[in-house]
Amino acid sequence: MLKTLNAILLFVSLAGVVGVYALKYSVEDLATDKGRLERKIDRQNAELSLLQADWAYLNQPAHVAPIVVRHQAALGLEATRQEQFLGFDALPMRPAALDNAALNSLFETLASGVDPIGQIIEAN
Amino acid sequence: MAILTESGNAIALNGANRSRAALTSSRIRVVVVALVVVFSIVTWKLIDLGRTVADTTIEGVTRDVITASRPTILDRNGLEMAVDIRVPSLFAEPRRIVDVNEAVTKLRTVLPDLDPAWLTKRLTGDKGFVWIKRELTPAIEERIFNLGVPGLDFLTESKRFYPSGQETSHIMGAVNIDNQGTMGIEKHLDDDGLAMLQSVGLARNAEMTPVDLAIDLRVQHVMYDQLNDALTRYKAIAAAAVMMDIRTGEIVGMVSLPDFDPNAPSTLFEDYNGQKNQRFNRITSGIYELGSTFKTVTVAAALDAGAVKMTDQFDARYGIKFGRFTIDDFHGKHRVLSLPEVYKYSSNIGTIRVMQAMGKDNFRDFLTRTGFDTSVPFELPEMRAPTVPKQFSEIVAATSSFGHGLSISPLHMARAMAGFMNEGCMLPPTIYKRSEAEARPLCQQVVSPQTSKDIRYLMRLNALEGSGTRMNKFANGYRVGGKTGTAEKVVGRAYSASKTLAVFASGFPLDNPRYAMVVLVDEPQSENPQSGHTAGWNAGEVTGRIVQRIAPMLGISPDFSQSLDDELVPAELR
Repeated sequence: MLKTLNAILLFVSLAGVVGVYALKYSVEDLATDKGRLERKIDRQNAELSLLQADWAYLNQPAHVAPIVVRHQAALGLEATRQEQFLGFDALPMRPAALDNAALNSLFETLASGVDPIGQIIEAN
Repeated sequence: MAILTESGNAIALNGANRSRAALTSSRIRVVVVALVVVFSIVTWKLIDLGRTVADTTIEGVTRDVITASRPTILDRNGLEMAVDIRVPSLFAEPRRIVDVNEAVTKLRTVLPDLDPAWLTKRLTGDKGFVWIKRELTPAIEERIFNLGVPGLDFLTESKRFYPSGQETSHIMGAVNIDNQGTMGIEKHLDDDGLAMLQSVGLARNAEMTPVDLAIDLRVQHVMYDQLNDALTRYKAIAAAAVMMDIRTGEIVGMVSLPDFDPNAPSTLFEDYNGQKNQRFNRITSGIYELGSTFKTVTVAAALDAGAVKMTDQFDARYGIKFGRFTIDDFHGKHRVLSLPEVYKYSSNIGTIRVMQAMGKDNFRDFLTRTGFDTSVPFELPEMRAPTVPKQFSEIVAATSSFGHGLSISPLHMARAMAGFMNEGCMLPPTIYKRSEAEARPLCQQVVSPQTSKDIRYLMRLNALEGSGTRMNKFANGYRVGGKTGTAEKVVGRAYSASKTLAVFASGFPLDNPRYAMVVLVDEPQSENPQSGHTAGWNAGEVTGRIVQRIAPMLGISPDFSQSLDDELVPAELR
C-alpha cells in the first residue's frame, strides 16, 4: 500500500519536474516571441508615423503651392478671377431634349407603310 | 521527586523521561531562535529590496517622459499641423557590456561617425544607462539589433514634426529635445495639463485625442504668401496679419514675418537683416500705435454714446491748437466735413471733434469697456500688455482719437473690429475651434446693433471712395471695407515721417459680415516712383490680394450688384 503510494508520488513529482522544465522553456520561447513581436510593432508604428508625417507634409498647401507655381507657365494656370464665379441662375436653360424613342417608332411605322396620322384624320 | 540527604539538604532527581523533555524543549527553543533569525534576515532583505529604487532613468530623464508623445494638432479642416514621429534611440547599459572593445568595433560598423575614444569612455564603467545616439531610423535599429551586442537597447522616442514648417511657426511654437513645449500652442498644451500626463506616463500615442485648431491652413498659406510678397514688393522690414471669424472669435489665420522654423527652434534667435530679436509674433506680442485705424474706434464710441449722428457736420477748416502743438490733417480738405467724410478722408481734426463731442473721459471709459487697456485673453503665451495712459489729458485724448499716444497689439484691433461688425457683440479670440453656440455666452456687447450697422457702412464707404479703393480694386465683388492707418514711428524721441507703420483693419463680406482682418506692413517703401507709401498702397493692397484668394475658399461668392452697397447706407443718408 505504502509502496504503491510512494511509487505514484515519485512518478507525479518526476512528471512535475519535466512539466515545469518544459513550461519554463516554452515561456522563455513565448517571451522571446513577444519581444520580437513588440519590436516589430514598434518598428511598424515608427514607419507608420513616418508615412503619416510624409502624407501630412505632401498635403500641405505649403507643399502643393510651389508645385503649382512650377507648372504655371506650362499649364497656363491662373488664379480664378471674381468674374469667373457665377451662380446657377446665370446659366442658360438647357433645351428640352427630343423624344428620340417616339420619333423612331413613328418613322418605323411610316416605313412599314402604315400612316398613323392619316388614320387619325380618316377616322374623324 | 525530592530526596532528603543526610545533611538535610534536598536534592532533586529527574527521571529519564523528564530529562528528555527538558532537552527537547531546549532544542525547540534553539530552532525557534534560529528560525526567527533566518526569517528576520529574509524580512530585512525584502524590506531592503523594496526600498531600493532601480534607477531606470537614462541620464536623469525617466523613460515615461522620453517615450511620452504629444497629441496630433489639426487645422479646422483636419489637416495635420503637428505630428509625432516615432524614432528609435540607442542607449547602453555599461555594466552589462562584457567586452567594450568588441562592442565599440561592432557598433562602428553601423554608425561609423561615432568617435571610438568617446564611445569607449561611454561604454566603460558602472553607470546605469547612457545614450549612444538619439533619433535613428528603423533600418539602422534593425542592423544594430542584429549585431547581437549585449547591453545595447532601443527606446522609441517621439519627435515632433511640423509639416507646414515656417507657415505656422508662431502658432505652433516649438518643443525642446525632451518633447516639452517651450512656445506657442505647444507651451499652452503643456500648461493645460499635458506635462502632468506625460510625467505620470499616461501620454501614449493611441490614447491622445487630436487637438483641433481654428486655423485654416489654406488661409494661413495665402496670408503667408502675400505677406512674403509684401516684404519684397514694398521693401518692408516686417509684415503681419491676423484674421478672425467675428461670429465665433476663432482665429482663422495668423502670420508674422520675419519668422522661424518650428522644426529647428533655434532659428528663432537668428538675426534678421543684421538685427536681433526680430522674429517675435507681432500680432500678439508686438504693441504699436496703430494710427488712423483707431478712428473706427473713436467714431464707434461717439456714435454709440449718441454724442454724434451720421448726419453731423464737423469743422475741419483749421488745425487744432494744443499749447504749442497744432494738429492738422494729412490729406487736408480744410472745409466743413460730414461724419462719413471725416472717416473717408481720415481727418484728424474731424476725429478730434468727434471725440470731443463725447468727452475725453467717456472716450477713455469706452477704451476700457472694449478691452484696449488690458491684454487680450488668448491661448498663446507670447503676449504683451498694451500701454494706454490711465487718464487722458486734452492732448493725449486728441492724439489717441486718431491712434497715437497709445500702443496696442494688432490682436486688440482685430477683436474690436470683429465686435463692431458683429452687431456690437465682441468675443474673446481663440486659437481652438469654437462653435457659434459656444461663443454666444462669451459675447460682450460693446456697441449697439445700430452703431454696428453705421460702422459697416463707413468701412464700406472708405473702400469705395476713400483710402481703401486700392484694396477694393483687388477684392472687388467681395464687399470688403476697412480703414487704413499710416502711423509715423517714433525714432529716437520724435516721430519720423519716412519710417511708418502701415495698417489696414478690415472686414468682409460687409452685407453679412463674417471675417475681420488686420494687416500690418512695417516701414514700407513705394513700390515704384508713381505709387505712394501710405497704407492704402501697401497694407490695403495686401488685404485686397489676400481676400481675393481666400474668399472663394471660405465659400464667399463674389457679387457685384450695386444694391448690396446701397443697402448698407443708413436711412438718414439716402
